[in-house]
Amino acid sequence: MLETRNLDKRFGAIHVTRDVSLKLEKGERRVILGPNGAGKTTLFNQLVGELSSDSGSIHLDGEDVTGLSVAKRARRGLSRSYQKNTLFDGLTIAENLGLAASVAQGHATSLLRDSLSRSEVRETVAEVAAQVDLAPVLDALVSEVSYGIRRQLEVGVALATRPKVILMDEPTSGVGPEMAHGFHKMLNDLPRDLTLLIIEHDMDLAFDVADTITVLNYGEVVFDGLPEAARNSAMLKEIYLGSWEDA
Amino acid sequence: MFRHTPLRIATLVLLGAAAILYGLNAEYFGLEILTEIAILAILVIALDMVAGFGGMVSLFHGALMGIGAYGFTLLATKAGVAPLPAMIGAMALGGVVGWIVGAICARTHGIYFIMATLAFGQMAYSYIFESSFFGGDDGLSGAPRLDLSGLGIDLNDSRGFAFFALALLLAAYLAAVAILRSGLGRSVTGILHSEQRMRALGLNVWRVKAAIFGLSGVLAGLAGTLAAQHIMYVSPGLLAWTVSGEALVVVILGGLGTLVGPVVGAAFFVLLKHEVSAHTTHWHLVVGVILIAVVMSRANGIFGWLEARVARWQGRTHAAKTGNLALEGDSDA
Ligand SMILES: Nc1ncnc2c1ncn2[C@@H]1O[C@H](COP(=O)(O)OP(=O)(O)OP(=O)(O)O)[C@@H](O)[C@H]1O
Ligand SMILES: [Mg+2]
Repeated sequence: MLETRNLDKRFGAIHVTRDVSLKLEKGERRVILGPNGAGKTTLFNQLVGELSSDSGSIHLDGEDVTGLSVAKRARRGLSRSYQKNTLFDGLTIAENLGLAASVAQGHATSLLRDSLSRSEVRETVAEVAAQVDLAPVLDALVSEVSYGIRRQLEVGVALATRPKVILMDEPTSGVGPEMAHGFHKMLNDLPRDLTLLIIEHDMDLAFDVADTITVLNYGEVVFDGLPEAARNSAMLKEIYLGSWEDA
Repeated sequence: MFRHTPLRIATLVLLGAAAILYGLNAEYFGLEILTEIAILAILVIALDMVAGFGGMVSLFHGALMGIGAYGFTLLATKAGVAPLPAMIGAMALGGVVGWIVGAICARTHGIYFIMATLAFGQMAYSYIFESSFFGGDDGLSGAPRLDLSGLGIDLNDSRGFAFFALALLLAAYLAAVAILRSGLGRSVTGILHSEQRMRALGLNVWRVKAAIFGLSGVLAGLAGTLAAQHIMYVSPGLLAWTVSGEALVVVILGGLGTLVGPVVGAAFFVLLKHEVSAHTTHWHLVVGVILIAVVMSRANGIFGWLEARVARWQGRTHAAKTGNLALEGDSDA
């Protein structure tokens, strides 16, 4: 469903992602682990096109999308959420989800009607609100709700385009372990044909959702395999020991 | 997205009633002022659509109005087109030019966007200033007024023309509201809040910006066709960047992104100009002081300040009714 071949990115002298090759099957839930500054977010930016890659290629559902713009990749079914909330702050939760749905459903440039009053958009808003537990706060302004709810909305907005693949950049960052487990339960309840690539800081949390695990260190894939193998890998313990104990 | 609040509707009704009463009773000079307000109000509604709702601060809107004025005059005089199709043609021209400039400038942001629109405005100004086809710095005269005698309205009468301008102001306002409430208007708001996210959702951001700029150009063009008919003469001064600057001052003075605010600002600005300039030639100084006061107060213009006051007052009365004030007092103790 999503495949990268030999992706590279440098910022001046820093080599941030090196020769990254990944392959996700349809419906696969893969977690990307790696210490701070490993290049995880950079890899996501390359995948969605917010950053161009120095070399390598990206394939979505069999199509080479390497040269396509951010918006075109999104319209082909690639969606993302951000590590740092990137929401429509002055609007309500429903309007945030509605904007996402109306873009995906092709109503975002219509002059004839309000996109958010269309029944198909409202249906999607209601469905997504149920998926990410936002139904009770749909009419609240983003600026009025708690940080945890905003994190849920961050994923909700990504879901509302009804994509094939979602890249989630640390969806649980800053919410505390208890809420994070709840969050992962929510992710596990999403339709099984949805492909997820999730950046997660905490290895224990990763086991909640991961079918497979990729570990990035200094921009390189140093592990690619099943969670059990990751759990028992001495190398990963070593890479992670420092930042893990801190986190 | 634009919302009609009770305060906004009340303000519009008051403004409308005042304009009608004034229009019925005023003498020639008063009617000229009323017409001037209506034309400026249409221009600032157009500007608020892009600057207030889309975050695209334009110094090209004076030029768009000038293009409407020249387009109308040329069509109606040199091309011999009847005034009504000439108006429509000039508005379409404003739309096309607005779309092109919006499309080119859409990739820049903030100060760069302002500078790019300024550059286009100056290009239009100097081209018209130097071209003999456009009458150079002499301008063009002979723009006719629309003939509505079939409806029993004489637009050559200043009262008739003032009400005509007011009617078009109402139409422009309703058009702007409809646009801002459409799917396109929603997307413009989305881009204002997070352009990055709208793009990541799959929106062709460039297309939306160009479209709203083009629609704004249609309304600015309409203001231009009215200005040409009003003074029956067009000169390059209409395209000067100071016209754009003044329109921006009015939008900020009234309240960015409120649509009603800029209309209030237009009335305030024109009345102030005539009041103050009757006493002193330094009326720009007075406007400058007021603008600084408004900006320093950190309110969103005159109307934004009023909206904030009303919201606070409503919050208090709501709290008092539900007894929240007392509860708050208890928990503080
Ligand atoms: N635009 C940029 N210009 C220069 N350097 C950058 C840029 N973006 C990221 N970097 C650098 O690239 C490296 C990888 O950053 P990235 O944000 O991808 O890490 P990450 O794995 O997501 O880290 P974290 O876990 O802290 O989110 C860091 O050293 C960062 O400073
Ligand atoms: Mg990161």
